[in-house]
Amino acid sequence: MTAGRPILRFETVSKHFGGLSVIEDLTFAVRRGSRTGLIGPNGAGKTTVFNLITGVYPVDAGRIYLDADDITNVPSRRRIRNGVARSFQNVRLMRHLSTLENVLVGQHSRNGGLFGVLQPISLSARNRWREEARAGLADAGLAKYERATVGGLPYGVQKRIELVRALMAHPRLLLLDEPAAGLNPAETEALHTHLVQICRSGDITLLMVEHDMQFVGALCEELVVISFGRKIAEGTPQAVRQNLLVQEVYLGKPAVEQEREAVAESPLVAAGVSRAS
Amino acid sequence: MSGYAEGILILLAINVVFAYGAFLPLAAGQLNLGLAAFAAIGAYSSAYVSNVYAIPALAAIPFGAFAAGIIALIVAVPVLRTRGIYLALATFALGQIVQATILNLGFLGGAAGYPVNEFIRLPFISAFTVAVVALVALLFGTRFGIAVTAVHDDERVADLMGIDVRAFQVTAFVVGSAIAGIAGGLYAHHFSYIEAQYFSVTLSITIVLNVLLGGTQTVIGPLLGAAMFTLLPELLRGSAHWRYVVFAAGLIVLMALRPEGLLTGDQLRQLFGWRRTDDEGSRMPREGPT
Amino acid sequence: MLSQQVVNGAMLGSVYAMVAVALTLSIGVLNFLNFSIPGLFMIGGMSSWALIHAGMPWPVAAAGALVITAAASLVVERFTWRWLRGAEHFVPLVSSMAFLIFFENLAIIYWGSDLRSVPILFSGADWRIAGLVVGVPQLVGLIGSVLLIWGLSLLLKRTRLGRGLRTIAEDSDTAMLLGVDIYRVVPFVFLMAGIFAAFGGIVFALNYRHVHPFMGEIVGLKGISAMIVGGMGNIWGSIAGGLVIGITEALAIGYLGSDFVDIAVYGLLLLILFVRPTGLFTGMQVARGGI
Repeated sequence: MTAGRPILRFETVSKHFGGLSVIEDLTFAVRRGSRTGLIGPNGAGKTTVFNLITGVYPVDAGRIYLDADDITNVPSRRRIRNGVARSFQNVRLMRHLSTLENVLVGQHSRNGGLFGVLQPISLSARNRWREEARAGLADAGLAKYERATVGGLPYGVQKRIELVRALMAHPRLLLLDEPAAGLNPAETEALHTHLVQICRSGDITLLMVEHDMQFVGALCEELVVISFGRKIAEGTPQAVRQNLLVQEVYLGKPAVEQEREAVAESPLVAAGVSRAS
Repeated sequence: MSGYAEGILILLAINVVFAYGAFLPLAAGQLNLGLAAFAAIGAYSSAYVSNVYAIPALAAIPFGAFAAGIIALIVAVPVLRTRGIYLALATFALGQIVQATILNLGFLGGAAGYPVNEFIRLPFISAFTVAVVALVALLFGTRFGIAVTAVHDDERVADLMGIDVRAFQVTAFVVGSAIAGIAGGLYAHHFSYIEAQYFSVTLSITIVLNVLLGGTQTVIGPLLGAAMFTLLPELLRGSAHWRYVVFAAGLIVLMALRPEGLLTGDQLRQLFGWRRTDDEGSRMPREGPT
Repeated sequence: MLSQQVVNGAMLGSVYAMVAVALTLSIGVLNFLNFSIPGLFMIGGMSSWALIHAGMPWPVAAAGALVITAAASLVVERFTWRWLRGAEHFVPLVSSMAFLIFFENLAIIYWGSDLRSVPILFSGADWRIAGLVVGVPQLVGLIGSVLLIWGLSLLLKRTRLGRGLRTIAEDSDTAMLLGVDIYRVVPFVFLMAGIFAAFGGIVFALNYRHVHPFMGEIVGLKGISAMIVGGMGNIWGSIAGGLVIGITEALAIGYLGSDFVDIAVYGLLLLILFVRPTGLFTGMQVARGGI
């Protein structure tokens, strides 16, 4: 029964660059079909985690499991076939390709064999791969940008194209690196709706790095918090919010002390109303 | 057709093939400064089999291309482990070595050059040119073209998307070298005499500059560049050397003003009347809450 | 005789070293491979011949050739680097290649493609040191190269200009933030590259007594080998690299025959690129001032 097995599992993973330890003994799991957020202060190592998952960096210790597969030593090129696709912090589309062609790149892992590579995609009038890509763009409301060279498109549009490209790989785990960064409120709202829709079927699990706490709070069912390469909390947003260690990391020790004093002096507490801890 | 016009068209046809030989690796983001050497391999091996074994040019020239391709494959593996400028220099060194080696092979004429018996004319040559252009155009209409451009634009992301970057780079390098071999074979069988000194690094550089003139973003760019390089100076009617001076000067100015070359991907899409959505796209979408 | 060949090789090597220094300066400071430098080498050599041919005494001709080549180099600067900050990274390389073709063909048009002889200027003035023959022009070349390099190292270490260059070599954006006027400083790189390349051409002309428009392609390009062997951006490495290439060439001529020279020199380059592309002599980069 696969329903219980997490889609992603980190087991005591460590990574260092030179003498600097960036990820230290990291262990966490992402529930299948969930919308999970990976949060933490700047420099915590969140993008490094993504790079380890996709194989950009090899781990120095520990293991990474994608569903039932141990992908720790799988070369980066093959991991997309294991089912993990990602978007990037600074949008990384191929600037010399059109929107449609960029999306077609996303299909490569499913159609990259010798026969697939020689498919006359851009030549034949009807081609199921091209139709699939066009449908993907249409679903995201981007049909009118099909022929445009991506270099000239606005940032928000490029981000959405990148998402469509990642989805073309039919991933089981979708990694999103700051998907809401740089978007205006309308775009953020649209993104939220789109992501909820994607996850509705339960086939895709979302793991996202984000700094926009409102966005994370509205979208994510579970959070993993890391700081200085170590996990400091894991659980629902409510639980995480009340975790003192997390508060310390985000607010700093003095602020947490002030919080405690304020609570202690509160008339409500004096009146006997207890506060969940 | 006058002999003069035929001569120009033959030169154009051969230059176009050469240009596509340079285009393939450039499209994958690599500079092959040893291109002329692969043309030399194609020229000499096709000339040798047609001279010694009386094999008709129709078969000899593809054989030359095959020989060039095989050598390219053998050297591609170590050479393509280098990157960027080191790669360009490795191909440059390779080109010099091949040229020097051919100069030493007595049975190929050495420094005195090698005469070629069979003679081919414009229809034959242009058939090969059309075939090469069609082949490359078809190739780039497949997922191969998209993957190669992806590798050129962003190797890291291409790799993460599942594209075997090394395989595509090697393929582009080998196919480009084989095409250069065709150009060499055509040259040998028309000009009836080949010498190693002709296949120099300046020839490689000139062909690469042809392609950059036309633009590497589209499949038609090399055709355009080769056409400009071959035909435009005819209007100026200077000596062969003035052609190069003007070409070089023109390219220098072009690089300063418009480095992407004469024809960009965007313009090509425009040219064919496909809706240019950029202008619309750059304004904020009007739908959505205001 | 082995030692004589080594001496000859060292002399040839100093020529390659000059070209290599010019190349390595451009790569070290500006991060682009300046393909016009072999062309400047040729201009230096051919214009020194032309001025001697016109009757000038050789020191004047040499000075004139330096000026002409420096001017040509500044033209290259204007059209490769100056207009192109921020453009695609390959553009300066491509433009410099176009300049090589430009100079070569211009020289053919102006001077014809034949070999030109430089008259014997230092007759009978050969020195015999420990049984080895060293000609005066060779000595001039050797001493001159050493002086030039020494002057360059002083410039880089002790002057404001030199500090500016080293800062740019480190990071050109930071250099601008630190107040280095890039547009005033960079032309000096081209100026110096032109001077070194020209000096190499002049030494070649005086020593080997022939010049032709293809000498940049045939001789100057080997300076690239020397640069790689010595390590890109490494000035003393260029000297060492030049010597290695020059001696390799001399030994190849002596033991394998002149047919195999190019194979030996470029084979060595290829080997270095595969095995140790950073060059044989590391640790001394322009940026770190340890030249």
